Amino acid sequence: MKSLKLLPVDLSLLGLMLLCTTFAPLPKPKVHTIEISQMQFKPATLVVSAGDTLVFVNRDMVSHNATEQSGTSWKSPTLASGDSWRMAITKSAAYYCSFHPTMKGEVKVE
Amino acid sequence: MKAVSSTTLWATGILLFVALLAAPASAQESPKLSDAEVASVAVIANQIDIDQARLAQERSENEAVLQFAQTMINDHEAVIKQATDLVQKLGVTPQENAVGKQLQDDAAKTAKMLKTKSGAAFDKAYVENEVAYHQAVISAVEDLLIPESENEELRGLLESIVPALQTHLEHAQMLQNQLNEK
Ligand SMILES: [Cu+2]
Repeated sequence: MKSLKLLPVDLSLLGLMLLCTTFAPLPKPKVHTIEISQMQFKPATLVVSAGDTLVFVNRDMVSHNATEQSGTSWKSPTLASGDSWRMAITKSAAYYCSFHPTMKGEVKVE
Repeated sequence: MKAVSSTTLWATGILLFVALLAAPASAQESPKLSDAEVASVAVIANQIDIDQARLAQERSENEAVLQFAQTMINDHEAVIKQATDLVQKLGVTPQENAVGKQLQDDAAKTAKMLKTKSGAAFDKAYVENEVAYHQAVISAVEDLLIPESENEELRGLLESIVPALQTHLEHAQMLQNQLNEK
Protein backbone atom coordinates (compact mmCIF):
# COMPACT_ATOMS: atom_id res chain seq x y z
CA MET A 1 0.00 0.00 0.00
CA LYS A 2 1.15 3.44 -0.85
CA SER A 3 0.55 6.02 1.84
CA LEU A 4 -1.00 9.36 0.86
CA LYS A 5 1.69 11.98 0.90
CA LEU A 6 1.35 15.71 0.47
CA LEU A 7 4.25 17.65 -0.89
CA PRO A 8 5.07 20.99 0.76
CA VAL A 9 3.84 22.74 -2.40
CA ASP A 10 0.44 21.08 -2.14
CA LEU A 11 0.19 22.06 1.50
CA SER A 12 0.83 25.71 0.83
CA LEU A 13 -1.70 25.68 -1.99
CA LEU A 14 -4.25 24.13 0.29
CA GLY A 15 -3.52 26.80 2.90
CA LEU A 16 -3.93 29.54 0.33
CA MET A 17 -7.28 28.11 -0.78
CA LEU A 18 -8.49 27.97 2.82
CA LEU A 19 -7.39 31.55 3.40
CA CYS A 20 -9.23 32.70 0.31
CA THR A 21 -12.51 31.01 1.19
CA THR A 22 -12.34 32.25 4.78
CA PHE A 23 -11.41 35.90 4.28
CA ALA A 24 -11.79 37.01 0.70
CA PRO A 25 -15.60 37.47 0.53
CA LEU A 26 -15.59 39.90 3.50
CA PRO A 27 -14.85 43.46 2.44
CA LYS A 28 -12.72 45.51 4.81
CA PRO A 29 -14.88 47.46 7.33
CA LYS A 30 -14.99 51.15 6.54
CA VAL A 31 -14.84 54.18 8.81
CA HIS A 32 -17.51 56.85 8.18
CA THR A 33 -17.26 60.29 9.74
CA ILE A 34 -20.42 62.13 10.75
CA GLU A 35 -19.62 65.76 11.38
CA ILE A 36 -21.81 67.75 13.76
CA SER A 37 -21.72 71.38 12.74
CA GLN A 38 -24.19 74.28 12.62
CA MET A 39 -26.56 72.13 14.69
CA GLN A 40 -26.75 69.37 12.06
CA PHE A 41 -25.50 65.84 11.61
CA LYS A 42 -23.63 65.81 8.29
CA PRO A 43 -24.47 63.71 6.38
CA ALA A 44 -27.92 63.37 7.98
CA THR A 45 -28.48 60.09 6.11
CA LEU A 46 -25.69 57.57 5.65
CA VAL A 47 -25.62 54.09 4.04
CA VAL A 48 -23.05 51.69 5.52
CA SER A 49 -22.23 47.97 5.73
CA ALA A 50 -22.66 45.92 8.89
CA GLY A 51 -19.49 46.11 10.97
CA ASP A 52 -18.46 49.52 9.65
CA THR A 53 -17.37 52.15 12.13
CA LEU A 54 -19.07 55.52 12.69
CA VAL A 55 -17.10 58.44 14.03
CA PHE A 56 -19.10 61.41 15.33
CA VAL A 57 -17.09 64.65 15.51
CA ASN A 58 -18.49 67.78 17.16
CA ARG A 59 -17.33 70.94 15.38
CA ASP A 60 -19.85 73.26 17.11
CA MET A 61 -19.11 75.44 20.13
CA VAL A 62 -22.03 73.83 22.04
CA SER A 63 -22.16 70.23 23.29
CA HIS A 64 -24.12 67.53 21.49
CA ASN A 65 -24.63 63.76 21.61
CA ALA A 66 -25.93 61.02 19.33
CA THR A 67 -28.74 58.96 20.85
CA GLU A 68 -30.40 56.03 19.13
CA GLN A 69 -34.08 56.95 18.68
CA SER A 70 -35.63 54.34 21.00
CA GLY A 71 -33.12 55.31 23.68
CA THR A 72 -32.40 51.65 24.44
CA SER A 73 -29.82 50.63 21.85
CA TRP A 74 -26.90 53.05 22.02
CA LYS A 75 -25.99 56.56 23.09
CA SER A 76 -22.77 58.53 22.81
CA PRO A 77 -21.35 60.34 25.82
CA THR A 78 -21.70 64.13 25.84
CA LEU A 79 -19.49 65.47 23.05
CA ALA A 80 -18.08 68.87 23.95
CA SER A 81 -16.69 71.11 21.23
CA GLY A 82 -13.94 69.23 19.39
CA ASP A 83 -14.75 65.81 20.92
CA SER A 84 -15.28 62.69 18.83
CA TRP A 85 -16.76 59.25 19.52
CA ARG A 86 -16.61 56.04 17.53
CA MET A 87 -18.84 52.99 17.45
CA ALA A 88 -19.23 49.84 15.33
CA ILE A 89 -22.61 49.79 13.63
CA THR A 90 -24.47 46.52 12.99
CA LYS A 91 -28.11 47.62 12.69
CA SER A 92 -29.92 50.43 10.89
CA ALA A 93 -30.82 53.21 13.29
CA ALA A 94 -32.50 56.57 13.53
CA TYR A 95 -30.80 58.83 16.05
CA TYR A 96 -31.07 62.34 17.50
CA CYS A 97 -29.31 64.68 19.92
CA SER A 98 -31.01 64.47 23.31
CA PHE A 99 -29.94 68.05 24.13
CA HIS A 100 -31.48 69.35 20.89
CA PRO A 101 -34.27 66.90 20.01
CA THR A 102 -34.92 68.56 16.64
CA MET A 103 -31.42 67.47 15.47
CA LYS A 104 -31.86 64.12 13.73
CA GLY A 105 -29.91 61.62 11.64
CA GLU A 106 -30.20 58.14 10.18
CA VAL A 107 -27.81 55.29 9.41
CA LYS A 108 -28.92 52.55 7.05
CA VAL A 109 -27.04 49.25 7.20
CA GLU A 110 -27.13 47.36 3.89
CA MET B 1 -39.99 92.92 9.53
CA LYS B 2 -41.12 89.38 10.08
CA ALA B 3 -41.58 87.58 13.41
CA VAL B 4 -43.63 90.45 14.86
CA SER B 5 -46.51 88.01 15.32
CA SER B 6 -45.68 87.55 18.98
CA THR B 7 -47.59 89.87 21.27
CA THR B 8 -45.17 89.63 24.17
CA LEU B 9 -43.04 92.48 25.29
CA TRP B 10 -40.02 91.14 23.42
CA ALA B 11 -41.76 92.10 20.23
CA THR B 12 -42.41 95.63 21.34
CA GLY B 13 -39.03 95.94 23.06
CA ILE B 14 -36.15 94.64 20.99
CA LEU B 15 -37.89 94.57 17.67
CA LEU B 16 -38.63 98.26 17.92
CA PHE B 17 -34.94 98.90 18.49
CA VAL B 18 -34.03 96.66 15.62
CA ALA B 19 -36.44 98.49 13.33
CA LEU B 20 -35.13 101.90 14.40
CA LEU B 21 -31.46 101.05 14.29
CA ALA B 22 -31.32 98.60 11.42
CA ALA B 23 -32.99 100.89 8.94
CA PRO B 24 -30.18 103.48 8.69
CA ALA B 25 -27.55 100.72 8.86
CA SER B 26 -28.97 98.97 5.84
CA ALA B 27 -28.86 102.28 3.99
CA GLN B 28 -25.07 102.29 4.49
CA GLU B 29 -25.15 105.04 7.14
CA SER B 30 -22.50 105.12 9.84
CA PRO B 31 -23.10 102.38 12.48
CA LYS B 32 -25.16 103.25 15.52
CA LEU B 33 -23.49 100.60 17.71
CA SER B 34 -19.77 100.21 18.23
CA ASP B 35 -18.26 96.70 18.38
CA ALA B 36 -17.87 97.17 22.15
CA GLU B 37 -21.62 97.81 22.35
CA VAL B 38 -22.47 94.89 20.04
CA ALA B 39 -20.39 92.59 22.27
CA SER B 40 -22.18 93.88 25.36
CA VAL B 41 -25.63 93.26 23.83
CA ALA B 42 -24.57 89.75 22.75
CA VAL B 43 -23.45 88.82 26.27
CA ILE B 44 -26.58 90.33 27.87
CA ALA B 45 -28.91 88.52 25.44
CA ASN B 46 -27.29 85.18 26.30
CA GLN B 47 -27.20 85.89 30.05
CA ILE B 48 -30.93 86.70 30.07
CA ASP B 49 -31.78 83.29 28.66
CA ILE B 50 -29.54 81.60 31.27
CA ASP B 51 -31.31 83.51 34.06
CA GLN B 52 -34.76 82.53 32.76
CA ALA B 53 -33.62 78.89 32.55
CA ARG B 54 -32.42 79.01 36.19
CA LEU B 55 -35.89 80.26 37.11
CA ALA B 56 -37.38 77.30 35.24
CA GLN B 57 -35.09 74.92 37.15
CA GLU B 58 -36.46 76.35 40.39
CA ARG B 59 -40.12 76.29 39.42
CA SER B 60 -40.75 73.54 36.85
CA GLU B 61 -41.32 69.85 37.53
CA ASN B 62 -41.78 68.90 33.89
CA GLU B 63 -38.88 66.66 32.75
CA ALA B 64 -38.90 67.96 29.15
CA VAL B 65 -38.98 71.59 30.31
CA LEU B 66 -36.15 70.95 32.79
CA GLN B 67 -34.02 69.34 30.08
CA PHE B 68 -34.68 72.26 27.74
CA ALA B 69 -33.66 74.70 30.50
CA GLN B 70 -30.42 72.77 31.08
CA THR B 71 -29.63 72.93 27.35
CA MET B 72 -30.26 76.70 27.37
CA ILE B 73 -27.84 77.13 30.28
CA ASN B 74 -25.13 74.96 28.68
CA ASP B 75 -25.40 76.46 25.19
CA HIS B 76 -25.70 80.11 26.16
CA GLU B 77 -22.79 79.70 28.59
CA ALA B 78 -20.72 78.27 25.73
CA VAL B 79 -21.62 81.28 23.56
CA ILE B 80 -20.75 83.75 26.35
CA LYS B 81 -17.38 82.02 26.80
CA GLN B 82 -16.63 82.35 23.07
CA ALA B 83 -17.71 86.00 23.08
CA THR B 84 -15.65 86.75 26.20
CA ASP B 85 -12.58 85.02 24.75
CA LEU B 86 -12.97 86.98 21.52
CA VAL B 87 -13.36 90.43 23.09
CA GLN B 88 -10.32 89.71 25.25
CA LYS B 89 -8.34 88.72 22.17
CA LEU B 90 -9.53 91.85 20.35
CA GLY B 91 -8.82 94.05 23.37
CA VAL B 92 -12.40 95.32 23.40
CA THR B 93 -14.25 96.15 26.63
CA PRO B 94 -17.99 95.48 26.24
CA GLN B 95 -19.84 98.74 26.68
CA GLU B 96 -23.34 99.16 28.11
CA ASN B 97 -25.89 100.80 25.84
CA ALA B 98 -29.59 101.46 25.29
CA VAL B 99 -30.28 98.19 23.45
CA GLY B 100 -28.79 96.07 26.25
CA LYS B 101 -30.63 98.17 28.82
CA GLN B 102 -33.94 97.62 27.01
CA LEU B 103 -33.29 93.85 26.97
CA GLN B 104 -32.59 93.81 30.69
CA ASP B 105 -35.70 95.89 31.50
CA ASP B 106 -37.89 93.55 29.45
CA ALA B 107 -36.25 90.50 31.05
CA ALA B 108 -36.96 91.86 34.52
CA LYS B 109 -40.66 92.24 33.61
CA THR B 110 -40.74 88.70 32.22
CA ALA B 111 -39.07 87.27 35.33
CA LYS B 112 -41.57 89.09 37.53
CA MET B 113 -44.47 87.65 35.50
CA LEU B 114 -43.00 84.13 35.57
CA LYS B 115 -42.52 84.27 39.34
CA THR B 116 -46.28 84.65 39.80
CA LYS B 117 -46.83 81.26 38.14
CA SER B 118 -46.24 77.63 39.08
CA GLY B 119 -46.81 74.12 37.78
CA ALA B 120 -48.29 73.71 34.31
CA ALA B 121 -49.10 77.42 34.06
CA PHE B 122 -45.44 78.25 34.68
CA ASP B 123 -44.28 75.73 32.07
CA LYS B 124 -46.57 77.20 29.41
CA ALA B 125 -45.61 80.78 30.20
CA TYR B 126 -41.88 79.98 30.30
CA VAL B 127 -41.92 78.05 27.03
CA GLU B 128 -44.08 80.65 25.30
CA ASN B 129 -41.64 83.33 26.37
CA GLU B 130 -38.71 81.23 25.11
CA VAL B 131 -40.35 81.02 21.69
CA ALA B 132 -40.89 84.79 21.55
CA TYR B 133 -37.48 85.56 23.03
CA HIS B 134 -35.56 83.42 20.55
CA GLN B 135 -37.54 84.91 17.66
CA ALA B 136 -36.70 88.39 18.88
CA VAL B 137 -33.03 87.58 19.48
CA ILE B 138 -32.64 85.97 16.04
CA SER B 139 -34.05 89.17 14.51
CA ALA B 140 -31.79 91.32 16.67
CA VAL B 141 -28.68 89.30 15.75
CA GLU B 142 -29.45 89.15 12.04
CA ASP B 143 -30.87 92.64 11.51
CA LEU B 144 -28.92 94.66 14.04
CA LEU B 145 -25.85 93.05 15.62
CA ILE B 146 -24.38 91.42 12.49
CA PRO B 147 -24.83 94.52 10.27
CA GLU B 148 -23.44 96.73 13.06
CA SER B 149 -20.29 94.64 13.63
CA GLU B 150 -17.20 96.08 12.03
CA ASN B 151 -14.78 93.40 13.18
CA GLU B 152 -14.90 90.32 10.98
CA GLU B 153 -14.32 87.84 13.82
CA LEU B 154 -17.09 89.40 15.88
CA ARG B 155 -19.42 89.18 12.89
CA GLY B 156 -18.31 85.58 12.31
CA LEU B 157 -19.10 84.65 15.91
CA LEU B 158 -22.56 86.24 15.68
CA GLU B 159 -23.24 84.42 12.42
CA SER B 160 -22.15 81.12 13.94
CA ILE B 161 -24.66 81.36 16.82
CA VAL B 162 -27.72 81.82 14.58
CA PRO B 163 -28.13 78.06 13.87
CA ALA B 164 -28.09 77.35 17.63
CA LEU B 165 -30.71 80.06 18.26
CA GLN B 166 -32.81 78.60 15.45
CA THR B 167 -32.53 75.10 16.97
CA HIS B 168 -33.52 76.46 20.39
CA LEU B 169 -36.54 78.13 18.80
CA GLU B 170 -37.65 74.87 17.15
CA HIS B 171 -37.09 73.00 20.42
CA ALA B 172 -39.22 75.55 22.30
CA GLN B 173 -41.94 75.34 19.65
CA MET B 174 -41.90 71.54 19.94
CA LEU B 175 -42.37 71.82 23.73
CA GLN B 176 -45.10 74.40 23.24
CA ASN B 177 -47.03 71.91 21.07
CA GLN B 178 -46.51 69.12 23.61
CA LEU B 179 -47.73 71.29 26.49
CA ASN B 180 -50.79 72.43 24.53
CA GLU B 181 -51.77 68.82 23.81
CA LYS B 182 -52.02 68.05 27.53
CU1 LIG C 1 -27.22 68.82 19.94
